[in-house]
Amino acid sequence: MGEDFQRNQLKELKETALPCFQCGVCSSSCPVFRVSPELNPRLSVDSIISRGKVPSEGNEWLCAYCLMCDQRCPMGVSLAEILMVIKNISAREGKAPPDVIESAESLMADGCQSPISSRSEKQREDMGLPKLPRANPADVQMLFRATGAAEVVELNRKAVEEASE
Amino acid sequence: MKFAFFPGCTMAYRLPFAEKSIRMVAPHFDIELVDLAFTCCPEPNTVRALSDDTWITFAARNIALAEAEGLDILTACAGCHESLSLAKHELDKKPERKNKVNELLKGLGLEYRGTSKIVHMHQQLFDEIGIETISSKVVKPVPIKVVTHTGCHLLRPERILHVDSAEVPVKLDMLCEAIGMVPLDYMDKTMCCGAGVRKTNSVTSYAVLREKMTSIAMVEPDAIVVFCPTCFITFESGQRVANRIFGTDFKFPVFYYTELLAIAMNLPGMDILLAEHRVKIELPASAETKEERKTGAKDSIPSSP
Ligand code: SF4
Ligand code: SF4
Repeated sequence: MGEDFQRNQLKELKETALPCFQCGVCSSSCPVFRVSPELNPRLSVDSIISRGKVPSEGNEWLCAYCLMCDQRCPMGVSLAEILMVIKNISAREGKAPPDVIESAESLMADGCQSPISSRSEKQREDMGLPKLPRANPADVQMLFRATGAAEVVELNRKAVEEASE
Repeated sequence: MKFAFFPGCTMAYRLPFAEKSIRMVAPHFDIELVDLAFTCCPEPNTVRALSDDTWITFAARNIALAEAEGLDILTACAGCHESLSLAKHELDKKPERKNKVNELLKGLGLEYRGTSKIVHMHQQLFDEIGIETISSKVVKPVPIKVVTHTGCHLLRPERILHVDSAEVPVKLDMLCEAIGMVPLDYMDKTMCCGAGVRKTNSVTSYAVLREKMTSIAMVEPDAIVVFCPTCFITFESGQRVANRIFGTDFKFPVFYYTELLAIAMNLPGMDILLAEHRVKIELPASAETKEERKTGAKDSIPSSP
């Protein structure tokens, strides 16, 4: 998988980004660019079209996936979706932010992204809310492993450990 | 109408009072809610960003559970709504992805077929039940000035979601008007609350929130109305963090729409729920009857273009 997977994804990305004529409407509509110019969505497409490379700075993780760029692009290029694919590539390289990995681990543990505490269960009960049925943890883990996320989580855990050594 | 109810992790375990308000109003609009063993939707910014295949498979499993019961899904969170709707769109459009997902779901005794619709509470109230029916249930109008924030993931991608106009959303304002509130327009109405980057860069996330809140503060509303638990938490708790980081002074009360609806319908038990809010509001007593409100409405200034 690994490299082939990446090469294919990059080829596809280049095709989706091709209609872009660098007008910059995406960047001027981006709420993150407004406060953190490190995320310039226009430049990330440019780098894919002209160099066939994902930008190396890792700024894709600054994208809030608010889809404003997607909404406004006059050429129908969805930078939000392109950045999502870039995040997938970056995660496979062990570059996912630690908090993102933590949320994924929580999902793997109890099927829910905000960890379910006994306090929150109690609060529900006090309000007269029903106990919500939960997915079988074995099923959750099976799907996690079979779809590649378990591997990505592990890879990123290792990257963090290596960096701290 | 009977639905598989999808409160989502954030609402269920961090904002249970908002979930309670949905369950309180539901029977009054003939909505019956069934709870199924759903997982997280899953959230795009974490799970989908790590592995697109994992995201679509979990979403398909959730939808397949509802399909097995022959029910449409009623969502309460914008994030869940967008995630499930996008997954459904992708699965219905690409048979090869659907088949791949179904290979895995077979092992769990499930199959994604594409028979269930994904409907957000916003759509059910505005598009199905309608403003007139909602107003007709109001016994205690809530006379406050509000700004609405429909939320990125109810508005975009517009070509798939069709909840409201992505550039000029007005439906939530109309829902607010229906229960006696005065919605105000503001500059950055369709801008993100910043929640999407909180896990990757929190200062950036609160800087986005600061921009949004600055635009809101300009029109001096009494409260902010949302239709998503994540936006709720970002505004309500996030404004304090923004204040600490940037020296701003935001303290707006925040409401999930059905909380205000329950108040306007004078349903018992709302005071307990409001006690859970971190920024409290003194709701002005509304002495006027419904008749007065109807005649008064003629002079009101339309708030949306
Ligand atoms: S708005 Fe579209 S065409 Fe314009 S720079 Fe952005 S991606 Fe390119
Ligand atoms: S989706 Fe990402 S890149 Fe696009 S406007 Fe939103 S934050 Fe910016």
